[in-house]
Amino acid sequence: MKSMKFIAVLAATALIGAACGDDAPSSGTSAGAVNGAGKTLNVLVQANTIYPEQQRQWFTDTAAKFKAATGADVKFETFASPNDELTKIQTSVLSSQGPDVYSLGTTFTPTAYATGAFLVLKDDDWKKIGGKDAFLPATLGISGPDAEHQVGIPFASRPFVMAYNTELLKAAGIDKPADSWDGLLEQAKKLTTGGNYGLAVAYADGFDPWKFIWAMSVQAGNPLVSGRKATLDDPATLKAYQTYLGWLATDKVVNPAAVGWKNAQAIADFGAGKSAFLPMVTATSKPTLDKSAVAGKYAYAIMPTTPPGQSSKPGNGVGATSILSGDNLVVANYTKNKDLALALVKQLTSAESQEAYYKTFGEMPTNAEAAKKLQADPALAAIIESSSKAAGTPFSGAWSQVQLALVNVVVQSIPALQAGKVDDAKLKSLVADAQKAAQDAIDKTK
Amino acid sequence: MAVRTVNRRQRPLWMLAPGGVLMIVVILVPLAVALLVSLLDLDQYTLREWTSAPFIGLDNYVEAVRETALPHAIGVSVGYSALVTVATLPIGLAAALATQQRFPGRALVRSAFLIPYVLPAFVVGTVWRTILQPQGPVNALLGEQLLWLNGPRSYWALVVVQLWTSWPLLYLLALSGLQGINNDVHEAAALDGAGWWMKLRYVIFPHLRGVLALGLIISFLHNLNNFTLPFVLFGVPAPHDVEVLPVLTYVESFQNFRFGLSAAMAVLSLVLVAIPLSVYLRAVRLNRDED
Repeated sequence: MKSMKFIAVLAATALIGAACGDDAPSSGTSAGAVNGAGKTLNVLVQANTIYPEQQRQWFTDTAAKFKAATGADVKFETFASPNDELTKIQTSVLSSQGPDVYSLGTTFTPTAYATGAFLVLKDDDWKKIGGKDAFLPATLGISGPDAEHQVGIPFASRPFVMAYNTELLKAAGIDKPADSWDGLLEQAKKLTTGGNYGLAVAYADGFDPWKFIWAMSVQAGNPLVSGRKATLDDPATLKAYQTYLGWLATDKVVNPAAVGWKNAQAIADFGAGKSAFLPMVTATSKPTLDKSAVAGKYAYAIMPTTPPGQSSKPGNGVGATSILSGDNLVVANYTKNKDLALALVKQLTSAESQEAYYKTFGEMPTNAEAAKKLQADPALAAIIESSSKAAGTPFSGAWSQVQLALVNVVVQSIPALQAGKVDDAKLKSLVADAQKAAQDAIDKTK
Repeated sequence: MAVRTVNRRQRPLWMLAPGGVLMIVVILVPLAVALLVSLLDLDQYTLREWTSAPFIGLDNYVEAVRETALPHAIGVSVGYSALVTVATLPIGLAAALATQQRFPGRALVRSAFLIPYVLPAFVVGTVWRTILQPQGPVNALLGEQLLWLNGPRSYWALVVVQLWTSWPLLYLLALSGLQGINNDVHEAAALDGAGWWMKLRYVIFPHLRGVLALGLIISFLHNLNNFTLPFVLFGVPAPHDVEVLPVLTYVESFQNFRFGLSAAMAVLSLVLVAIPLSVYLRAVRLNRDED
């Protein structure tokens, strides 16, 4: 009987152990000089769906190099989607265990900062990763609320640009894409002919729409959040929505089916040669497009910087070509291997690694030295220009909520678009709701 | 061999311990934590030290009911779940009756009927999302460019897809119920000259009542709690017409970081789920008393 009791207890313990599956880093306890023998560093990065093979190779190479330098192992984990990423970060923050180093999207950095779970880099820390000067100054724009409180170390830059079909433009007698949104619309109207459309826009994407609204707003002088005030109810933002939704509803320069498109579907449509412009894509669209029907017949340009309804950028407007986009590395506060983590960050952001990273994945370096070498490449001109003219989204812990509110306006506006008009009364009420949601979220920031 | 009767005192209740401990760890503790969180002002700023997040009593519940889309989401969830549940009954029953008699290829048909049910919800959602695209097969078939994944039609898209994936549950239960009816009863009814309708009405239905009631309850709860399908079909932020309760709860937690508010919503949906469940449990208990 006694032995049965023992077995039952043993089984229960084993089950509980399995249920609570513990992810604590298997590293040693004491942090010291960067001698990581016997330690393991856990790193969470986004799964690269375009180059999965290369990413696995990159994991192996990076780990081998780090092992040679410090004696420590690096274990990479991947997340599949931004939602996946959020969940993972939340559980790690809550349980104070999980990856030592995270690669975060730039726009998520403010929210990550707000949790207080990530290392705010002191001068000493910056020194350990090779100094702030090693980075392109623009890429540091969304690392923290100010220069003294930065958590994000720029790792990759993915500025947004616009792809255009050189053949279609040439046929229509257009020599280059317009630099104002109104101009782009005129060109798009001209190019909407013979079953082709002027613009490919992913209206059903969970993230794309807010980037348009933000860009047009900030160009007109409305940053959407200033201090503790949301300004989504500014006329410039309403105009941005009207323009963005009008492309499909009233101007009819977008395929009506685009109401169901995510970003990948817009890229596919452009790749099939059915639309002339593909705004709001990054260089990561290149591998897809190079294998598509428009291979060799497309180029990238920066997106317009003159806001809708205006002929020149107003004085208080920011000529942003893109959000400050890419990845930041952050080091978890709870890590027991801070110095080791910083050593890895140093390795990943070194000129040599960044160049290799660009060559493999097509993502632009944040390392100043590596970036300088690429400047001469004419194929990258637009991307580099956009990188230098990108502006950071507001560094607010509530930004994720503001983003969601911005996208929600588009989602709820879509059903009415088929009627061939933008319902201004409905739009105004949706924008008012978004303003309230954004302001409520900002009021709660601490 | 003498049979040893076990009296109440001697029953080896400790053998329930592993299961009991598991239940406490897997069900009761998280439930208690959810209840606690629903009383806290827990968000991205307080998450790191969540136990010291400000206690705000029932504020989250008040906010959930008054200021969020919760009442609307409950309406959508209950409405579509009830619709789907009611519609699965005749379909599942008809399928079960049709495959009860032996015929060549019956095994194949029976297996085919289960396909929608065994497919992962994620796959179902992805496939239907493609089918219902503006340029998808459904619109090609109709020859019109209708909007299925947003706007008023999205509600019916959700009903149809959920119906497609959930009717086999009713079918399975009805089938098992039918197998349980003794052949003698069929024979007796036939001898008494009962036609198919009389047989169905007075012999088969009364036998199936219990199992179908269980099927309906399970089906309703499944529909009410279904997160994956609407999430994959429509994405977030959800279109207004298909803003169901689980998706709203998810968005509050994982997009808006209002964990306290979201926990309050989750607790309220638990209450919602408990209503049909308690009705069912009560009904079962009453039946037993009659016996």
